[in-house]
Amino acid sequence: MAKVTYVEIDGTEHELNVAPGLSVMQGAVANSVQGIIGECGGACSCATCHVYVDSAWLNRVGERSATEEALLEEVMDGQPNSRLSCQIKVTEDLDGLIVRLPAKQI
Amino acid sequence: MSETGTKATSPIYWDPFNPEISANPYPIYRRLRDELPLYYNEAHDFYTVSRFSDVDSCLLDAKTFSSARSDILEFIKANVEVPPGMFIWLDPPAHTAYRNVVSRVFTPKRMNALEEQIRAYCARCLDPLVGSDRIDFIADLGAKLPGGVIGMLLGIPDEDRDLIRAKVDESLRTETGKPMDVSQGTYRGDGFEEYVEWRVKHPSNDLMTELLNVEFQDETGTKRKLTREEILVFVSVLAGAGNETTSRLIGWIGKVLSDHPDQRREIAKDPALIPAAIEEILRVEPPGTQVARYVTRDVEIHNQTVPGGSIMQCLVAAANRDDRRFPDGDRFDIHRKGAPAITFGRGIHSCIGSALARVEGRVALDELLKRFPDWTVDLENSQLSSSSTTRGWDRLAAAVPRGHRAAAGSNQAAAASATEQPAPSVSLGGETWQCTLQTPAGPQEMTVQLVREGETVTGRIDSPMGGEAISDGKALQDRLTWTMKVSKPMSIKLSFDVKVEGNQMTGKVKLGLFGSAALSGHRV
Repeated sequence: MAKVTYVEIDGTEHELNVAPGLSVMQGAVANSVQGIIGECGGACSCATCHVYVDSAWLNRVGERSATEEALLEEVMDGQPNSRLSCQIKVTEDLDGLIVRLPAKQI
Repeated sequence: MSETGTKATSPIYWDPFNPEISANPYPIYRRLRDELPLYYNEAHDFYTVSRFSDVDSCLLDAKTFSSARSDILEFIKANVEVPPGMFIWLDPPAHTAYRNVVSRVFTPKRMNALEEQIRAYCARCLDPLVGSDRIDFIADLGAKLPGGVIGMLLGIPDEDRDLIRAKVDESLRTETGKPMDVSQGTYRGDGFEEYVEWRVKHPSNDLMTELLNVEFQDETGTKRKLTREEILVFVSVLAGAGNETTSRLIGWIGKVLSDHPDQRREIAKDPALIPAAIEEILRVEPPGTQVARYVTRDVEIHNQTVPGGSIMQCLVAAANRDDRRFPDGDRFDIHRKGAPAITFGRGIHSCIGSALARVEGRVALDELLKRFPDWTVDLENSQLSSSSTTRGWDRLAAAVPRGHRAAAGSNQAAAASATEQPAPSVSLGGETWQCTLQTPAGPQEMTVQLVREGETVTGRIDSPMGGEAISDGKALQDRLTWTMKVSKPMSIKLSFDVKVEGNQMTGKVKLGLFGSAALSGHRV
């Protein structure tokens, strides 16, 4: 298990144990974290699982694919540390990961 | 499969066609979830899952639960031929290629960018109603707004939008209690050909133009443009999907918030609650109640085998109220926390227009509340309908207390004049007729002025939509024919063919691509 902390826009923190192999999006949706929708289930198509990756973790969560890159141009309030959380696979190495949720997905 | 319900109550029966069930399906949904989480309907030969976790996993497993034979029960049964470009009815890899073409357009940012335009369109629909004591959520807003918005995206001019919606609705409507007729041809793109051809010659910055120009890699790896046939299907899918479901959402806004006046007042006081309210309305009354999948292999669900070749109905509307996911699921509560419902589906086929639907719902509710903070639905004058895909109001009348007219009535003068007979802006000195055209979108009043000189007829027509001169006018004794072009970006030609008997006029008007409408009128 890897501990992932999801921080809502109002500061509410959800500290969840996510099984390696699941995506950061799946960890949130399975635990009904408000603020991550993930409608397309991880197909990298709906752009509703946008998160900001904590700077300490940014270079450890992998690269954006071309599809993800294109969609990240279309999220609300995109930032350099924006990612689609369905494209970040949880591993033991990501134990302690912190992601922040945007003001709104849609 | 036998029904092995353990409770000593009546046997469980559910299908989406039965109007008695669909009037209030929620008690049955609860029993399905609790007693028969895998239900088999013998009469219509389909399986149903109704718990959130089951619906969620079925929709995520697109390999086992395929969309390649469509997502509508009747179509899967009929094994309909899926036209090229019908991306919602494809499996990967063909689906992925097509979906990527449109998913870049229907993104949260682009949909939010439409907000101001959507707001203005709502104002145009609602301002004329300010001061009246009744509104109909469907006729006055639900029938207009979604088509207007998808029209904005596709670049379809305003005056054609109502006709397009009427056409799409007609092709999807089922007779009460009966499944859909599979010969219904909407999904082949009928009716949009002329418009696409026009747009080829007049490129703009709309989605239609983008579809004409976009290059993509198809499932064979070939980089190419979309074919005309593919574009027609795309447009038809987007226009159809954007219309009916969003219209139903607006109906449910009216119904649910009439049933919960306290929460409605709370939202009116604090519009920041609107997004959460829309999510909760979408949860308790999803416009799309179920989606069907073709089962590609034997699969074990709740210790029973669903054989390959079966049809699975994923009952989204039941999953949305599953207490296992949404505590006290039948209760409407705009302050509910947690992840959203499964209204827009899940997985590779989840609704591509969900961001747009949410923006439309939020703006519609905001603009409604600004003008009509109070309403009470009048079920006597309302009509609920249900099909194998959706459930919602065809008409939803409501009483609105007078006295709120000043709230947003920027358009009082327009409101007053729109309810009166249209006054011609120019008097031609010939004969004047007051006519009603029975368009698919409802009766349209117009003033027809005609000047006859021998066999030649000239004149003009004025309606609340505006005025236009007529052309090609001919008189053959008591029969008159003429045409009129609606000349905004897309030209639709109306061809009139009427008979005059004394002070009465009757006849037909061909509405471009959209069939014909009856006309009747009297001399004034």
